[in-house]
Amino acid sequence: MAYSDKVVDHFNNPRNMGSFKKDEEGVGTGMVGAPECGDVMKLQIKVQNDTIVDAKFKTFGCGSAIASSSLATEWLKGKTIEEAQQIKNTDIVQELNLPPVKIHCSVLAEDAIKAALADYQKKADGEASGTK
Amino acid sequence: MARSMCWHCQSAVTGEYFCERCVKVQPVSKEADYFTCLGFPRRLMLDSKQLEAKFYEMSRTFHPDFYQTKSPAEQAISLGNAAVLNTAYRTLRDPIQRAEYLLGLETGSVKDIRTSPPADLFEEILELQDTLEEYRSSERDSQEGRELRTALETEQRALEQRKQEMETQLHQLFGEWDQLQDRGESTSQTRVDRDRLLKHMRALLSNRTYITSIVNDLATTIA
Repeated sequence: MAYSDKVVDHFNNPRNMGSFKKDEEGVGTGMVGAPECGDVMKLQIKVQNDTIVDAKFKTFGCGSAIASSSLATEWLKGKTIEEAQQIKNTDIVQELNLPPVKIHCSVLAEDAIKAALADYQKKADGEASGTK
Repeated sequence: MARSMCWHCQSAVTGEYFCERCVKVQPVSKEADYFTCLGFPRRLMLDSKQLEAKFYEMSRTFHPDFYQTKSPAEQAISLGNAAVLNTAYRTLRDPIQRAEYLLGLETGSVKDIRTSPPADLFEEILELQDTLEEYRSSERDSQEGRELRTALETEQRALEQRKQEMETQLHQLFGEWDQLQDRGESTSQTRVDRDRLLKHMRALLSNRTYITSIVNDLATTIA
């Protein structure tokens, strides 16, 4: 099986690799893993005024998992929280041309986005009600 | 394991693999799980010698070589049965794969059993990956390269040790699971125990996979 050009490109030049401090204001962290293959993904968003101004990721896994998370961070930047919720793993599959055996990598990326958004929301709610 | 009605003479099948009336080989039921297929109970501590013996016995029964002079239908059945048998044996002979399979049967897919992701372990793995990356881009013979290598080797040993401990713990849980099944009761307490065991095994198996995966990466990088 050969990787598509887009996967290879993201793999060789990952976008937005790195991390933010977890407790930094407006940062949401999503940490997910695929117990089937042992891949681990950490995806973080930085939110200002309901818009994602920056996103970073760190992934331990195969080329498709790295490409999926790299692409996810690219897509997240500039989106509102609500728009970010709409990102589906199938969009990632389509963009990266992932073969059926690598679809779980895109699912992992979607899970990571959802987890990061949920974490941000939880932190934001906590701050709003003063129970941080 | 065979279907209840013979595909050939339509009489009720009483034999295990063959119709007793027309002596035609019978296809393995598509619904049968691998334990049933090999004639073992759904347990986690199976005797590997017994399992192997049964596999060889059944292989001789179904091997396509013995069906070369038979009808195309019988040849197809023997081929199908041999394939199922091979997969069943390959899955059940390894205790870890066996447990993964049993958990699948008991709970559906991996995702259906919710365990909270081990955040600390994930952080550790990602950090280790950074160190690996540093090592990959360092000069192997430099002071820095040698130090990184030593650090990674220490990590590798520690992780292998943890993996071993997890396997010991899993082995214990396998025994507990089998005991619970052997008792065969269905009270609210056994249901609680069952769920607790499944969850605990699921978490350990997953964590073991994460550790295996980073250990493999470590091993190939510093080899």
